[in-house]
Amino acid sequence: MSEDEEIKEIKEEKSEDRITATTEEELLLPRDTLLSAGIHIGTRMKTGDMEQFIYRVRPDGLFVLDVKKTDERIRVAAKFLSRFEPSKIAAAAARLYAQEPAKRFCEVTGAIPVVGRFIPGLLSNPLYPNRIEPEVIIVSDPRADSQAVKEASSLGIPVIALCSTDNEFSGIDLVIPTNNKGRRALAVIYWLLARQVLRERGELPPDKDLPLTIDDFEAKIFREET
Amino acid sequence: MTEKTATLTLVTCTSCGKTIPPGTEATKFFCPNCGEIQIRRCQKCRKFGRPYKCPKCGFTGP
Repeated sequence: MSEDEEIKEIKEEKSEDRITATTEEELLLPRDTLLSAGIHIGTRMKTGDMEQFIYRVRPDGLFVLDVKKTDERIRVAAKFLSRFEPSKIAAAAARLYAQEPAKRFCEVTGAIPVVGRFIPGLLSNPLYPNRIEPEVIIVSDPRADSQAVKEASSLGIPVIALCSTDNEFSGIDLVIPTNNKGRRALAVIYWLLARQVLRERGELPPDKDLPLTIDDFEAKIFREET
Repeated sequence: MTEKTATLTLVTCTSCGKTIPPGTEATKFFCPNCGEIQIRRCQKCRKFGRPYKCPKCGFTGP
């Protein structure tokens, strides 16, 4: 190998390292943490809407999401949410594993939690005594929280949704591509979103973390003793 | 006798460019990325999940 070729190779290696370092810096959490939580794991089904967020297909047929795009969308969603008053944000979570993270998210950011069954008319029925009037709503799964999406659509409320590879964009205004079924993945996403919202509001310095950990955001499993 | 005139400004959908009739299930929000431009989406574009693009920053959603 000539000297020129060697120098060229070294330069290329260095530039690759730099690219990796930049992407690591750009992510909200280290890539390994995000991957170990499984936020990139999709399903065996793919919709045309979600194709833009899919990174690759595993040999077993599982679609894998692009972590960088998830990270980018979390930042955008946080910017968007920080422009609203905390009391005008609602977080709906019908899925069992999404309930605890959504509750914690609301506790940290001051949003309204709507966990469990979404009572029809909660947003749209003026005669319902416990009616809430948010200006933006976050849903954990557009399919599980279809009632929330439907009511928000009819009222013209913007909807932010955590979408996996099998979701469609019907009635949604901003998508966060992520695994919306995993316990750990949901905890990480809500934790990141809460932290980023506080940072955007200026309530948390850019280098500081939340007082709550990701484990606090995670839904707990209680096993019955036999 | 004086004549009273009223002006009605019709807004257009950011996705399809068609005018949004008043009273429909449309939505409006500031661009999630830059927050400067108001995005308006008509009922159909929301329903079909048609993409919208911010004319200022180029952010494409949903």
